[in-house]
Amino acid sequence: MKREKHSAGKLLMGLALVFFYLPIVYMVVFSFNDGKSLTNFTGFSLRWYQHMMESHTMMESLYTTFSVALIATAVSTVVGTISAIGLSKSRKLVQSLMEQVNNLPMMNPEIVTAIGLMLLFITFRIEKGYVTMLLSHIAFCIPYVMLSVMPKIRSLDPNLADAAMDLGATPWMALRKVIVPQIMPGIISGGLIAFTMSIDDFIISYFVTGGGVKNLSITVYTMSKRVNPSINAISTVVVLIITAVLVLINVAPKLAAKRQEKVELSRKRRVLPLAVCGAAVLAVIVIAGLRQGGSQLPYAGQTLHVYNWGEYTGENILREFEEKTGAKVVMENFDSNEQMYIKVANGEAYDILVPSDYMIQRLIQEGYLQELDHSRLDCMDKLSSAVLGLPYDPDNTYSIPYFWGTVGIVYDTTKVDPGDLEREGFGIFLDTKYRGDIYLYDSERDSFMMALKSLGYSMNTESEEELQEAFEWLVQCVQTMDAEIVTDEIIDNMAQGRKALGLIYSGDASYVMSENEDMGYYLPESGTNIWSDAMVIPANAKNPELAHEFINHVCSYEGAYDNSSFVGYTSANEEVMEELYGPGGEYEGISAYMPRSGNPNDEVFNYNEATRKIVANLWSKVKIAASNAE
Amino acid sequence: MKRFSQLALPYIAWAVMMLLFPMALIALYSLTQQGNSIVSFTFTAEHYVKFFTDPDFLIVLWRSLLIAVKTTIICLLLGYPMAYFISRSSEKAQNYLVLAITIPMWINMLVRTYAWIGLLSEGGLIQRILSVFGLGGSELLYTEGAVLLGMVYNFLPFMVLQINTSLCKMDRSLLEAGADLGANPRQAFLRVTLPMSLPGVINGITLVFLPAVSSFFIPKLLGGGQYFLIGNLIENQFITVGEWNFGSAISMIMAVVMMLLMMAVRQVEQRNSGGKGE
Repeated sequence: MKREKHSAGKLLMGLALVFFYLPIVYMVVFSFNDGKSLTNFTGFSLRWYQHMMESHTMMESLYTTFSVALIATAVSTVVGTISAIGLSKSRKLVQSLMEQVNNLPMMNPEIVTAIGLMLLFITFRIEKGYVTMLLSHIAFCIPYVMLSVMPKIRSLDPNLADAAMDLGATPWMALRKVIVPQIMPGIISGGLIAFTMSIDDFIISYFVTGGGVKNLSITVYTMSKRVNPSINAISTVVVLIITAVLVLINVAPKLAAKRQEKVELSRKRRVLPLAVCGAAVLAVIVIAGLRQGGSQLPYAGQTLHVYNWGEYTGENILREFEEKTGAKVVMENFDSNEQMYIKVANGEAYDILVPSDYMIQRLIQEGYLQELDHSRLDCMDKLSSAVLGLPYDPDNTYSIPYFWGTVGIVYDTTKVDPGDLEREGFGIFLDTKYRGDIYLYDSERDSFMMALKSLGYSMNTESEEELQEAFEWLVQCVQTMDAEIVTDEIIDNMAQGRKALGLIYSGDASYVMSENEDMGYYLPESGTNIWSDAMVIPANAKNPELAHEFINHVCSYEGAYDNSSFVGYTSANEEVMEELYGPGGEYEGISAYMPRSGNPNDEVFNYNEATRKIVANLWSKVKIAASNAE
Repeated sequence: MKRFSQLALPYIAWAVMMLLFPMALIALYSLTQQGNSIVSFTFTAEHYVKFFTDPDFLIVLWRSLLIAVKTTIICLLLGYPMAYFISRSSEKAQNYLVLAITIPMWINMLVRTYAWIGLLSEGGLIQRILSVFGLGGSELLYTEGAVLLGMVYNFLPFMVLQINTSLCKMDRSLLEAGADLGANPRQAFLRVTLPMSLPGVINGITLVFLPAVSSFFIPKLLGGGQYFLIGNLIENQFITVGEWNFGSAISMIMAVVMMLLMMAVRQVEQRNSGGKGE
C-alpha cells in the first residue's frame, strides 16, 4: 500500500517535470532547426544563432535584460537591507504603515503597478527608456528583499548591537560586523528573489520603457507574431546562462563548505557573493565598453530613432545605412497607427515615423510633424506619381511615401469557390460555409472598411447609423463565423494554408502568394482601401538631419529594392516596383503586388476625430463579442 | 540603537514616491475627464458608470475571474500532491526536486510561453501525440484550453514551492504523537498535516490567482486576438484606444476586486488557524 502511493507520487512528479521541461527542451532543439518551421525538424543548422547575433534588437535586449537585473538586484539588496534594519528600529506605527505600502506591488495585479509607474513618469515628463525601466525594477524589487530580510532581523537579539557598541564599536561597525553577518542568509535569498523578479519581468517593463529600449520579454512579445526561430536561439542562450548561474550558486557553497574546515566560517561566506557580484558588474562594464566603437564616418556616434510597422524593413537596409553613415539605428515597431499615435502624443521622441495616410493627416492637423527640408532630399523624381501629392499631404510638405497598396481577401484556391468571392465580395466573411476557416485583421479602420464596403457605404462615412450597421455586421461575423482575429500571424499561417480566407494587406498577400502558389488575392468590386504609408519627421525629432539622410536611403534604388523584395509590399520607388512585378522579378505576376487602379469604389482614408472615437470603441466591443462567443 | 531608525528615512520617501503616489495617480485619472492637464481637471464618475452599466465589460471581468479560478484549482490539485511527495522524500532528493522546479521559473516567462506556440500549433508535437491515441484533429492553439494550459504551466511552480515550504516547516513529531494517540494515516493527514499546511496553500493560491486574473500576454499569445481578458482590455485602453482615464478606472476596479478577494481568503485562513491553534 505504502509503496503504491509512493510510485503514484513518483509518476505524478515525473509527469510534472516532463511538463515543465518539455517546452524548454523543444525550444532548444528547434533553435538548431535548419528550416523555418516550428513543428518540423528538417536538419541541423546554426543559422538562427547567426541571425540572432546579427540582430541589433536581440543582442541589445539581452544586454538590457541582464544589466537591468544585475543593477536592480545590487541596488535593491543593499537599499532593502539597510532600510529593513532602519525600519525595525522605527516606531511600530511607521513599521506597519510601511509594510502596507510595500505590499502594494506584491498584492496588486502587476498591470496596475505598471500603469501607475507609467503615469508617474509621464506626469513628471521623465523620458521613458533605460533609466525608467531600471527605476521601476528597483521599485518592485526592494519590497521582496525587505520581506526576506525582515524575519531575520526580528529573530535577532536586540541587545547584540548594543553590546557591540558598549564594547567600543561605532554604530557603523556594529552594523557591518554584527548585524549584517547574522542576517546574511535573508539578504542572499532576498537578492535572489529580486534577480528572478527582474529578469522575468514583462508587464512592468512593457509599460515603462521607451526610446527603443527593450528587454528580452518585450522583444519576444513583439516578435512572436511571425514565425521566427531566432527567438528559440536567444532563448537557448538564456537557458544556458541561467543554468550556469544556478549551478554556480548551488555548487559553489558546497565546494566552499568542504574547504571551510580550516578557514573561519563567516569570512568565506561573505566573500563569495561579493565576488559573484563583482564579476558580474565587471562583465557589464566590459560589454558596455565593447559596444562603444570609434569611427570616422559623418554621423558616427549619433542615433536615429525609427518607429515603424513590424516586419516592414528589408534584411540589410538598416545595416547598410549604419555602415554608410556611421550612425546607429534604433527601431521600434507598432501594430497599428493608433498605437503609434499614443506614443507620439505622449511626447516620446522619434526621428522617423511611418504612419498611414489618414494618420499623417491627423498628425499634421495636431502639429506633431515638422516640414521636410526638400533641399536635403534627392528622391522625389524616383517615386511613383501614384503615391505623390495625395490629399492627406498635397505637396508632400511633410511626408515621403514608403509603401502602398490595397486591402483585400487572401484565399486558398483549393478551398474557396471563386464564384463565392465574386458574388459576395467582403460578404464572404459572413458565409457560414467558411465557418471556422477565416482570419480577421486586428485593425479597427480596416475591419470597418470591410463591413462598410460590404454594405455598400463609403468607408469614410460620418453617419452614425451606417457605422452602427457596420458594427452589427462585424458582430454577426465574429459570433457566427468563429473567426480568429490576428495581426501579422496571418502571414505565416496563410502561407501554410491553415485557413481558407483572411482579410489581409496586399503586401502580406504578395509574400503569402510567393510562398504558397495555392493562394490567391481578391479585391471586391464594391471597393477597398487604397492606402499608403509614408515617412514623416516629428516636430520633436532629435536628429532631423540624419532623418533626411534616412529618407534618401530608403527611397534609393538599393534601399527600396531590399525593402520591397524582402517584405512584399509595393515600393513607392517606381523603378523597383516595375522591376519586381515585371518579367523575372520576385513578384512577377503576383496580382497583390500591383495596386488596383480605376475602380470608382476604391477610396483613400480621411481622418475624422469623431468617427475615429466611435470606431475605436465599437471595435473593442467587437473583440469582446468575439471572446464571448467562444 | 535608535539612530538606526534614520536609515529608513530615504526609503520611506522613495516608497511614497514610487509605490504610493502612482496608485494615487491611477485613482486621479480614473475619476477625471480625458484631456486634463495635471493642473486643472474636472472630476467625473463616468468611467466607472461606463464599466458597470455595460454587460460586455462585466462579462470580460467575470470570464477573467473564472479562468483564474480554474487555473488556481488545477494548480492546487496538481501542486498539493507534488509538494507532499517532495516533502516526504529524502533531504537530498528534496533539494534536487526543488531546484528542478525552480529552474524553469528563472527562464523568462514569455520565452516559455512562446515555446508552447510551436508545441500546440497544427501538426505540432502535442497534436501528433494526441493523434496516436486517436484524439487528433481538433485545434489546440488559440483556444481557451491553450490559455488555461499556459497559465497552469506558468503558475504551478509557485503553488508547489509555497505548499512545500509549509509542509517542510511542519513538526514531524506531531504526526507521531497523532499515531500514538491512535490516529490512522488518513486521520493524521486530515487533522494534522492539512491544517498545518494551510498557510502555504493560501500563499500558493494568492501567487497563482493574482497573476492569472491580470495576465494579458498568455491570452494574447496562446488565445489569439479574439480571446479578450480584463488584462487585455486594460492594455488595449492604454496602448491602442488611448482612453487612459477609462483604462485607469478598470485598473482600479480590478485592484479593488482583487483586494476584497484576498481579504476573504485571509479571513478563511485566520478563522481556521484561530480555531486549531489555541
